[in-house]
Amino acid sequence: MMDATPGASDNARQESSRPVIVATDLRKRYDDIQAVDGVSFEVYPGEVFGMLGPNGAGKTTTVEMLEGMRDPDSGSALIDGIDVTREPMRVKKVIGVQLQANAFFDRLTLSELLKLFGTLYGHKVSPQELLDRVDLSDRGKAQFNTLSGGQKQRFSIAAALVNEPVVMFLDEPSTGLDPQARRNMWDLIKGLQADGTTVVLTTHYMEEAEELCDRVAIVDSGRIVALDTPLALVDGLLETGFRNERPQREATLEDVFISITGRALRDE
Amino acid sequence: MRVTLSLMVASLKMYYRNRQAIFFSLFIPLLIMVIFGLLDFDRFSGAEVGIVDRAGNEASAAVIERLTDREDELLEVEVGSFDEETARLEEGRIDALIVIPLEFGEEDVTSVVQATSDERSPQRAALAITLVVQAMSEAASGRYGPPPDETRAGGFSLEQSTLRGDDRSYTAFLVPGIVAMSIMQLGIFGVVFALLQFRQQGVLRRLKAAPVNPAQFLFAQVSTRLSVSVLQTLVILLAGIILFDLAVGDGNLATWALVLVLAVFGGVLFVTMGLAISGFARTEEVAAPVTNLISMPMMFLSGVFFPLDALPGVLTAVTQFLPLTYLADAMRAVVTDGAGVTDIWGELAGLGAWTAVVFAAATRLFRWE
Repeated sequence: MMDATPGASDNARQESSRPVIVATDLRKRYDDIQAVDGVSFEVYPGEVFGMLGPNGAGKTTTVEMLEGMRDPDSGSALIDGIDVTREPMRVKKVIGVQLQANAFFDRLTLSELLKLFGTLYGHKVSPQELLDRVDLSDRGKAQFNTLSGGQKQRFSIAAALVNEPVVMFLDEPSTGLDPQARRNMWDLIKGLQADGTTVVLTTHYMEEAEELCDRVAIVDSGRIVALDTPLALVDGLLETGFRNERPQREATLEDVFISITGRALRDE
Repeated sequence: MRVTLSLMVASLKMYYRNRQAIFFSLFIPLLIMVIFGLLDFDRFSGAEVGIVDRAGNEASAAVIERLTDREDELLEVEVGSFDEETARLEEGRIDALIVIPLEFGEEDVTSVVQATSDERSPQRAALAITLVVQAMSEAASGRYGPPPDETRAGGFSLEQSTLRGDDRSYTAFLVPGIVAMSIMQLGIFGVVFALLQFRQQGVLRRLKAAPVNPAQFLFAQVSTRLSVSVLQTLVILLAGIILFDLAVGDGNLATWALVLVLAVFGGVLFVTMGLAISGFARTEEVAAPVTNLISMPMMFLSGVFFPLDALPGVLTAVTQFLPLTYLADAMRAVVTDGAGVTDIWGELAGLGAWTAVVFAAATRLFRWE
């Protein structure tokens, strides 16, 4: 087992700045399942922080407790200095949330939905600007349920951006997307980071975590079993003498797929 | 406040953009109303006439006897005082009122017989007056009964007037009942399935992630349904006025205002009932039968289509306390009789009590996920 403390690879920025998320010993039990069993970690401003783990590991429950959507049985969480359990509404105002199953009201256009969400957060928004940011410039008059899977995910990120959040929570943002749409989603997440937004991301895809995350926490049975930069985690494994049996090549099948079908989005 | 308002605007847009739903929720009650209205349960009844006998002599007695002895049941005769019969005419219980003057039947006097008919039932009033005049002429010409010696009753002339009595027709009973029924249907059905859908799609979860009190969203949904209830009430009453010559109370603003207040009160009750059902029934497969189980008995046992007296007494002991009974009775009192708030306080109290009970159930049963 790998050590769950941050490795030597933490950069100077993280050590010097105050963490924007502090989770301390979070616990949550559903009936006879201990879904989250003492999770503690910190996330620093501007980081993309990944939570990896098999289904049912407790990723989503952990994230929902940070988002103020679920009360922990014990433990605490601070987001931008605000105690989530004490002031969930204040926390909700400064975070952006993209849920696993994204649903928006029928019979409202994307522009109307963005305006509505802006009002819910007390922000006046420019729907067109938000749509531009997520590559949906010309879909302002469309309705959510007419969008493709990738467009839906991108729109739900736009909806999560209405309040210019300090922290953005993305729950499996690329699940079910084709390779083009997934790469587009990655670019979007990199763009968020470039704009200074801290991102907490749950995913099943290791290559996605490697591509995007500054640090990842591997969660299993409600506990964090490893937490470090992707590179440090791989190095740690190699140090134990582990060798991948599969022959390593310079390209993957996905590289082949993208080189043949191109990077252009197929949504429209 | 701004949040609630924009949620309301959004709910209104969502609802009113669903043209098909609007069409059917307005059209189906109208269709039911027209079908039952066309059945015209009044058609077979004969005319009813009230007679005020001021003469009280043999001639007038002969006329009344001639009329009451008819075997064809075309005419039902009531004899009473002027005040009694006038009240009955105004209440729409009789179609025409005949006043037989003091000097009726006296020799060499042309007496003036007053006939007042109800504008609402012109054919039956005309039938009644024709039969009365026929009986009088027969009596006057001595063709009726044993002529008492040589004397002959004098002639008479007819003085006709009209009056608009209260509407006692079946359609006047039916239309307010349909209004109440459609408020119930819209409230329960409109809310149960919309909320189940929101919950299944995860819309409610997404709202929960925003800094919104979920009650604000519920409030927006409820107020949207209430606006539809009010609209629907107006449409059904207007259709009643156009198709069935319905009179809404005395037609004054206070009556219409009370009708709309009732629409909102009833709307609140049944929308809350819908919220409770949507909390209790987790899936549409369960919600459909549960919704029917609750709305169907009320539809048929609350005096929407027929008066409650038609039911066995044991049943009415229960059905008089149904939520829809209170709404239908109050709506009917206001629309048909032009009742004011003080006349329907009992029904309002019944609605209030039910709303409290259902609200308590809804707050316990309702869930967001």
